[in-house]
Amino acid sequence: MTNDEDKANRLESMALTVLFFAISLALLLALFAVTRPGQASGGWWTRPALAPGVALGLLVLANLVTLARSAVDLRRRPATTAERAEARARMLGWLRPLEFLAYFAGYIWALGLVGYFAATLLFLLGLMLRVGLRSPRWLLAGALTALALTAVFRMGLGVWMPPAMAYDLFPAAIRTALTRWF
Amino acid sequence: MDFILLGLQQLADPTVFAVMVFGAMLGVVVGAIPGAGAAVTISILLPTTFSMDPLTGMTLLLGVYCGSAYGSAIPAVLINTPGSPVAVLTALEAKPFVERGEARRAMSLAYSSSFVGGVLAVLALMLLTQPLAQVARHFGSAEFAMVALAALVLVVIGHAGRRVEATAALCFGLFLATVGVETAYATQRYTFGFQSLLSGIPLVPTVIGLFAMSEALVQLTRREHARPPVQLGGRFFSGFAEVFRYPVTLYGSSLVGIICGIMPGVGEFLAQQVNYVWARKVSKHPELFGKGSPEGIIVSEATNNAVPPAALIPMLALGIPGEELTAMMLAVFLVHNVVPGPDLFLNRPEFVSGLYWTLLAMNVVIILFLMVATKWIARATLVDKRYLGAVILTLSLIGTYASNYSLADCGIAMVFGLLGFILRSHRWPLTPILLGLVMGPILEGRMRQALGGSNGDLTIFVTRPISALMVALLALLIFFTIRGGLKRRRPREDWQINDT
Repeated sequence: MTNDEDKANRLESMALTVLFFAISLALLLALFAVTRPGQASGGWWTRPALAPGVALGLLVLANLVTLARSAVDLRRRPATTAERAEARARMLGWLRPLEFLAYFAGYIWALGLVGYFAATLLFLLGLMLRVGLRSPRWLLAGALTALALTAVFRMGLGVWMPPAMAYDLFPAAIRTALTRWF
Repeated sequence: MDFILLGLQQLADPTVFAVMVFGAMLGVVVGAIPGAGAAVTISILLPTTFSMDPLTGMTLLLGVYCGSAYGSAIPAVLINTPGSPVAVLTALEAKPFVERGEARRAMSLAYSSSFVGGVLAVLALMLLTQPLAQVARHFGSAEFAMVALAALVLVVIGHAGRRVEATAALCFGLFLATVGVETAYATQRYTFGFQSLLSGIPLVPTVIGLFAMSEALVQLTRREHARPPVQLGGRFFSGFAEVFRYPVTLYGSSLVGIICGIMPGVGEFLAQQVNYVWARKVSKHPELFGKGSPEGIIVSEATNNAVPPAALIPMLALGIPGEELTAMMLAVFLVHNVVPGPDLFLNRPEFVSGLYWTLLAMNVVIILFLMVATKWIARATLVDKRYLGAVILTLSLIGTYASNYSLADCGIAMVFGLLGFILRSHRWPLTPILLGLVMGPILEGRMRQALGGSNGDLTIFVTRPISALMVALLALLIFFTIRGGLKRRRPREDWQINDT
């Protein structure tokens, strides 16, 4: 790791800690609003707010310590313009997995539409194309992997999946087989 | 004698035996693939074990756990890339062997010392678990609460150089454990009106999100994919007997591995570092360490493989998991209503004995598999990381969905996948989140019971002898850790646990 990358990480880490601190503080402030007890009859140790209160209190404190350390470090070695730009670029990198998570959400949606095997095949091949594995050899490997996963989980272990709408287009006997195995 | 026979009877069950062989082989292969590993595989397999009987399910997961500890040496030797963080020292020591054309010697040294470490740890498990459980029979809620607290404190202390981050992660896990309906007042805590959160944050989607999906996202978004070719040189069996020329290093490393495995939160990585420093001091050739020392490989692998069986000792005897993989396995116990702890030996002796024997047999199966199949397993190290990421992400769906048949769980896994990705990229530890989530209900429940018994008097924790002793040890541990931290201005990077 270069020195520049190290400095950029510093700012990025601080931004992350600020985010965690803000979330944990918001959760702590909401403590009594979201842990309201019903019939109070026990002692202080049975209060519903006690455990989350202690956990969140310590979480806020730990984030505060991390934040203070980062602030001291930045005061000692102020960030340059280049570092700030690098940190911004890196923080945009946090959004990169969102693209893949969106595909994953699409995969979940496709399950009820075309069934496990077809959805897995489409998802796996789509992902492989997206990340640059585009040769026929890789696509064949992806198709075989989808088939193997279906064989292991649906046929072998009998993992239940929601019935697919597409299977309704088939005659009853084929629909039953598709619903059971694919 | 009956206890031993009961276990052998369990091992003779064709299903248990087949699952043991399959799990061990799968573990070796995933251990050999950098980026796959035990945590990813166990998190995905976890829900499928819920439909198996407890011993079969545990055997599968333990097979993966133990097998991957052996398998991680393969990429460490062949491509100088550790299959998991615990093979870093093996990679360091094996590099000169490979350069000298002795890759096979390095590999057989690793296998042989792994086998000795693994078998000795299973023997320790057999000998120590029941006596510890008998001691734990005298424990009340105050003692169990203190044991749970000690485990959590040790988890934080084990993350040297990242203790504040580990504390934050642990507290986040403890907070997550409080979400849902609590028992005393049937109060909803932090559910924000979501029906799916009434029963709490589900363990399986959280585990899959944090450990499997985040790993998949890392693999899919990283840029470097080129891998150097595999080289196998030297005589394969040359190192098998060689390890016994270093008995102090071999048995000493195994012993330290066992002790560190028993202690919650210490884990393989820290155990290896401690052992490595010690072995260099006692070695006749300390100058060879870091430059291709056989003893360096022995230290790394014997310690690494002694930890998994030893980590089961506190879990079986006390119901306290010490690291992320045993915490995942605790879910198998809970799903099948098998309560780990002192009563386990009375209620389910066949399960405990069966577990011992399958673990012992597993080590034999793994070493035989490695002796026969290393050449083919080595190819697994060349798997393209983008393909690996795509497959892990695909498997994450079935892993998440199969546990509860709930699409909401898939959403929870996605949230934790993103969180895990961000935390990994900043080297924040993930293990404390899981341990907080698993240990939170145990700690809260035991604390409430203890304080209920004393009508809220906190002195209950210092007036009972065993509890008082634990409080004193905890106080000393925290004091010396803080003092050590203040003395050392710069964190020692080489002692950090890198469990992300």
